Amino acid sequence: MSRLDKHAEIREQLALFVAGALTADAESRVALHLATCADCSAELEGWQLITGGLRRLPTPQPPAALFERTRVLAMAQLAEHREQRRNRIVLMLLILFSWAVTLAGWPIFRFAAGGLFSLLDVNFRRTWLLFVVFSVGTWLAGGSAAVLLSLGRRHERRLA
Amino acid sequence: MAMAASIASVWEGRLGIDAAVLELRRGDPDALSTLMARYQHRIYRYLLRLVRQPADAEDLFQQTWIRVAEKIRSFDTSRNFDAWLFALARNLALDHLRRRRPSSLEESLRGDSREDTMVSRLPSADPGPFEQLLARERAGRLAVALENLPLSYREVLTLRFEEEMKIEEIAQVLATPVATVKSRLYRSLAQLRQILEAGAGGEVRA
Repeated sequence: MSRLDKHAEIREQLALFVAGALTADAESRVALHLATCADCSAELEGWQLITGGLRRLPTPQPPAALFERTRVLAMAQLAEHREQRRNRIVLMLLILFSWAVTLAGWPIFRFAAGGLFSLLDVNFRRTWLLFVVFSVGTWLAGGSAAVLLSLGRRHERRLA
Repeated sequence: MAMAASIASVWEGRLGIDAAVLELRRGDPDALSTLMARYQHRIYRYLLRLVRQPADAEDLFQQTWIRVAEKIRSFDTSRNFDAWLFALARNLALDHLRRRRPSSLEESLRGDSREDTMVSRLPSADPGPFEQLLARERAGRLAVALENLPLSYREVLTLRFEEEMKIEEIAQVLATPVATVKSRLYRSLAQLRQILEAGAGGEVRA
């Protein structure tokens, strides 16, 4: 490589050299060249002035009230999320508990009232089916009411 | 339970994860205040560099922290929090610019001086009145030149030199390969130098 080509190659890399964006190999090649080349060193100074200036640019100050305003809004968001998460968990636990009580309660009641054979009774199986249909219907009605209530509450929150 | 939490804290601490970030993930409001206090100047500066208008930067600042409160549970602790936070702010700023003026994302060099926005907000900490005047003039010229760069150049310069981020972190914020960050860094510095040289009659003065 001629000396002129070497200069051109190094100069191409000077901007990235001052930006600390070269690989370790390329960086040491440039540093080695700079130690012996006054022209490239002078060129480097130009880049250093710019990057040094950028580093020293004063930080624009946000208005004093912005921090507190933002903090209040973000806190409210955080509290809302926490509440939503807690409500979801409580709701899931309640649903599980209710289903468990519903499903287990009926056969236990029958067993307690009529003994073991009442569970095998044909009439009981028919009653059981009716019971399931009734329970699903009740649960769907309850679920719809819960959704409508939560939508109403969300709407109220938005208006507030 | 408390023991498991403390073991998790020690383990996460060894991984170098910020305690305030972990606390915020658990829903602690004090941790949000701590992080906001720590990052407020950096985030505001970054947003101001992107959108250039203080009023827009203030709106986006608010949106950023509300989004942090909303999304912190989805933050992957194996990632860098700074990169995640700045990427969040950046996405909001880009959405805002797209909504306001779709062409603003394809900005070319602008000739108009905007000293009434950013430059007028630049404080100075230099000692003597004369030095202060000179420093302000230089910083003002550089700030104006920076503002006149396209968005993709402005952001890479501010992330590298003002935020002191590593190239890999910048790549995470911009969601681009490291090689793209390097080439963008090179082109932005070259263009900034060109503007400054044109303004100073051929001599580089930062």
